[in-house]
Amino acid sequence: MMLVRAFVSHYRRHPFQLAALALMIVLATMLWTGVTVLTDQARNSLFQSEEAVAAGVHVVRTDGRPVRVEDFAELRMAGLCVAPWLEVRRPPPAGRVIGIDPLAMGCFGKAAPGGNRGELDGAPFLDISAAVRLAREGYDSRLYLLASTENETLPQGYALREFSLGPSTGELADSFLLNLDALSLLVLLITGLLVRSVHRLGIAQRQDSFDLLFRFGVPGRRVRQLLALELVVLTGVCVLPGLWLGTQLAAILGGGFGQALNSLFDVNLYAGAAESLPWQAAAVMVLLVLAVCLVDWLVPRRWQRAVSSARGRLLAVLVLFAGLAGVALAPDLAGVFAGTAVVFVAAGWLTPGLLALSAQKLSDGTDLDGSGPLTRWRRRELAVMFGHLALPVVALQFAMATVLAVQALVTTFESTFDDWLAQRLEAEFYVEVPAGADAGLAAERLQNLEGIGPWHRVTRGEAVISDEGAAGEDKTAVVDLFALTPVSELVVDWTLLASMERPWQRLAQGAVMVNEQLARRHQLELGDTLEFRVADTEMGANIVAVYADYGRPAGEILVSGSALPEDFSARFESFSVNPGEWAMAEISEQLADVWNVSDVTVRDNASIHALASQVFGQTFLLTRAISLLTLVLAAVALLIMSWVFFSTRAWYFRLLGIWGLPAGAIHHQLRRLSVTLTLAVTITAIPLGIWLTWVLVSRINPLAFGWSLPMDLYPLFWLELGLIAVVTGLVVAYLMRWQLVQRENGKQVKS
Amino acid sequence: MADPVLVVERLSKRFSSGGQPVTVLTDLSFNLAKGESLAVVGRSGSGKSTLLNLLCGLQVPDKGNITVTGESFSESVNSDSDARWTELRRRSIGVVFQQANLMPALSLEDNVRLRSHLAGHAAGHERGWLERLGIGAEADRYPDQVSGGQAQRAALAMVFAMAPAVILADEPTGSLDRNTADEVADCLFAMQRDSGCALVLATHDRELASRCDHLLDLSALHLGGTD
Ligand SMILES: Nc1ncnc2c1ncn2[C@@H]1O[C@H](COP(=O)(O)OP(=O)(O)OP(=O)(O)O)[C@@H](O)[C@H]1O
Ligand SMILES: [Mg+2]
Repeated sequence: MMLVRAFVSHYRRHPFQLAALALMIVLATMLWTGVTVLTDQARNSLFQSEEAVAAGVHVVRTDGRPVRVEDFAELRMAGLCVAPWLEVRRPPPAGRVIGIDPLAMGCFGKAAPGGNRGELDGAPFLDISAAVRLAREGYDSRLYLLASTENETLPQGYALREFSLGPSTGELADSFLLNLDALSLLVLLITGLLVRSVHRLGIAQRQDSFDLLFRFGVPGRRVRQLLALELVVLTGVCVLPGLWLGTQLAAILGGGFGQALNSLFDVNLYAGAAESLPWQAAAVMVLLVLAVCLVDWLVPRRWQRAVSSARGRLLAVLVLFAGLAGVALAPDLAGVFAGTAVVFVAAGWLTPGLLALSAQKLSDGTDLDGSGPLTRWRRRELAVMFGHLALPVVALQFAMATVLAVQALVTTFESTFDDWLAQRLEAEFYVEVPAGADAGLAAERLQNLEGIGPWHRVTRGEAVISDEGAAGEDKTAVVDLFALTPVSELVVDWTLLASMERPWQRLAQGAVMVNEQLARRHQLELGDTLEFRVADTEMGANIVAVYADYGRPAGEILVSGSALPEDFSARFESFSVNPGEWAMAEISEQLADVWNVSDVTVRDNASIHALASQVFGQTFLLTRAISLLTLVLAAVALLIMSWVFFSTRAWYFRLLGIWGLPAGAIHHQLRRLSVTLTLAVTITAIPLGIWLTWVLVSRINPLAFGWSLPMDLYPLFWLELGLIAVVTGLVVAYLMRWQLVQRENGKQVKS
Repeated sequence: MADPVLVVERLSKRFSSGGQPVTVLTDLSFNLAKGESLAVVGRSGSGKSTLLNLLCGLQVPDKGNITVTGESFSESVNSDSDARWTELRRRSIGVVFQQANLMPALSLEDNVRLRSHLAGHAAGHERGWLERLGIGAEADRYPDQVSGGQAQRAALAMVFAMAPAVILADEPTGSLDRNTADEVADCLFAMQRDSGCALVLATHDRELASRCDHLLDLSALHLGGTD
């Protein structure tokens, strides 16, 4: 009881210490929960619906047109077991929903998806009638016809396809989830470091009172038990608000996240059932906090000392190289992630010691003329700080490196994507061909317009290529087909990652180009002959170029429209037009006339660009937000830690004042000390950040998304980060100064 | 008195502790000449440390005047008096505490160097000072690598290296055992005599106090007595 009272009274005297630890736990839980909730949501979206479907196949029309209600009727009349599956897209945060017909599902002999969980509650499954109502409200919708897996004989004009909700993204979605998991692991790592550092410092501050208790005859084991209990209670209390904040964070970021999934993978974030608080995340957090705070009592002293010994350092260097080699050579994503984790651990192991050593070396080399002795003193203090603030320093380094890498990745992607989009949007206007209208007639009309600028007709559809890697008996894969008629001068500026001579002329003569994703996935090289099937026609052509195609995983073949077979039916058609001497209004009137419609949809370059940029902005919102939040958290932790640490150091700054150094000069020393600290951390973060950027663009991106990005560095952003470091340093200095003044006004000189 | 280095006139100081005013010093006056030493004694809480703080401008009196090497200060504070006190502490007033007089991150030699640098002296004589105090061999060690007595000798080396006019020592031997305390005190008095500076020594130790030229008993003052 006396012990408990001693504990409580400590915190009554130092409420700030308790608040700091509590704050750290709350914020850590918030970040971690936020990421976990989003990751789970993505995982569920990817798997839940697919799992729910007993049938793994659906029926498509061999002419490539979407299936309609008439097809359903036809198939049912032919005695087939098919069930409708109507997907309605609503914008986030409402999410997509799926309309099903429980009666029709019955023919699979299994309960309807969602049905076994009770009501069709709209998350994501609802009755098809309700879905149709939504579709009629104007939301985008798409109908699938699910079939049972048995090899049934289909009527003429239909084929079975594997049913998955997105296009065949292969392992890409898994990889994306792995990416998210990696991000959450990083968050866990950094927050673990932070919680530990704040807790350690609190313990160090209380060491005197523990010693006293020990002298009073309280066994050390008893004190430790109570400390553990205290931590359990505190964690238990703080995890709850953290959880709640985390779900709020996830809700805020959810919209952007849905967009990201959509534009990166064509995977949809379905309306998730409002689940209860993510207790699993909470449990992980509690375990993490307990583990990082209590590890000292579990790991033998000898090991702990070994970590910071010279031999420990050598080992860390070896570990570092092993990690670097692992990342460079690993054949799969999991290997790359493991290697990255190893590199981070080794870097965190080495950095504080290295920084302290350089500060020490620097102070040894200080020129003792001028203000030399004072400078030497400040550098020594810096070395001491690196030693004592090792954990928050490492956390800040990690957070900065992550922000740097994410920023570089996003910026590179943004500019590359922008260039790419600009090439794709070479024409000034785009005209969508209305459903059922004849694009051929329109092309003839455009051809006859004297003085029109360059234009071409874009036809999109599907092609089938053989795929030895495919699962199941069907060794084929469906890829996008992209046809241009004619191969106009609008496309000749495209970024080609690899090409033979005069690629566009060759394309016009019947050769093909493939996008990077397709080339990587099927190891296609220039000059290879690509065999593919369009509708019922087998085709084969030389690959003359590989072009960059960012932001989606699907493979694509680019052909000249003249090469398309007769029986090909387009999924989507449009015209890209530079009006030349004509006004666009006149051209669209002409087209309206050809198609016999009252109005045609014409979009201009600028509006498409704006739309794309908007989607893009959302795409990396999550990664950006999480990494920035982590940085903020690390900075806050550094503030807290320097504050507490400085309380043990304040006397020596006071001593300088007693020795006649004016207050202004002391504050100047404080500022230089803390700004050097944060800037030094930034400097160690930059190489780690650059390396992480390389890992992202050159290792993770190709493995996870199928396309790679150029490796660009953004020194301006380093400067920005440096500026943040300077500001953090100044705030630290200000806090220290405030503490110094408080002490001077309060307690008098030590005697 | 010839050449007064320190002149204290009608000095008063009180604190308010928990709303209650605590009078520590009332109308205290004394002079100290070059080369003289004054022992300040009194029971704990009688105001020894407070007096020393007032004498170097770390605290401000409620009333009274202090003159150090010709610079006068009254109870009024402003940035000018602040700056003058700072300058005095830098060059003319050496302060020694019971402990924690050294920068832990610097070696003894660097500590002496820093202190004499602040006092405006060129570098180069640090080792000499440490040797004079008998700790030349420890010059490269850090404060946590030497004994308490050695640390206090280093503190004295720092103070003498700045060639001060007055030394204010607050229980400089308070945390040392008898023998060590005597050795450190021997050093202090010997070097004070050599340098000719004035010394104000606050102590509990009557024996140490008796080695000074003058004695100021703050407990007696409180009881209404005078020196
Ligand atoms: N900042 C302050 N606020 C309130 N009271 C103070 C303050 N500083 C000192 N006092 C009080 O003034 C009195 C004198 O304190 P001082 O430290 O000068 O005593 P001292 O003679 O040095 O004692 P010791 O021998 O224990 O060091 C004490 O009663 C103390 O409580
Ligand atoms: Mg005292």
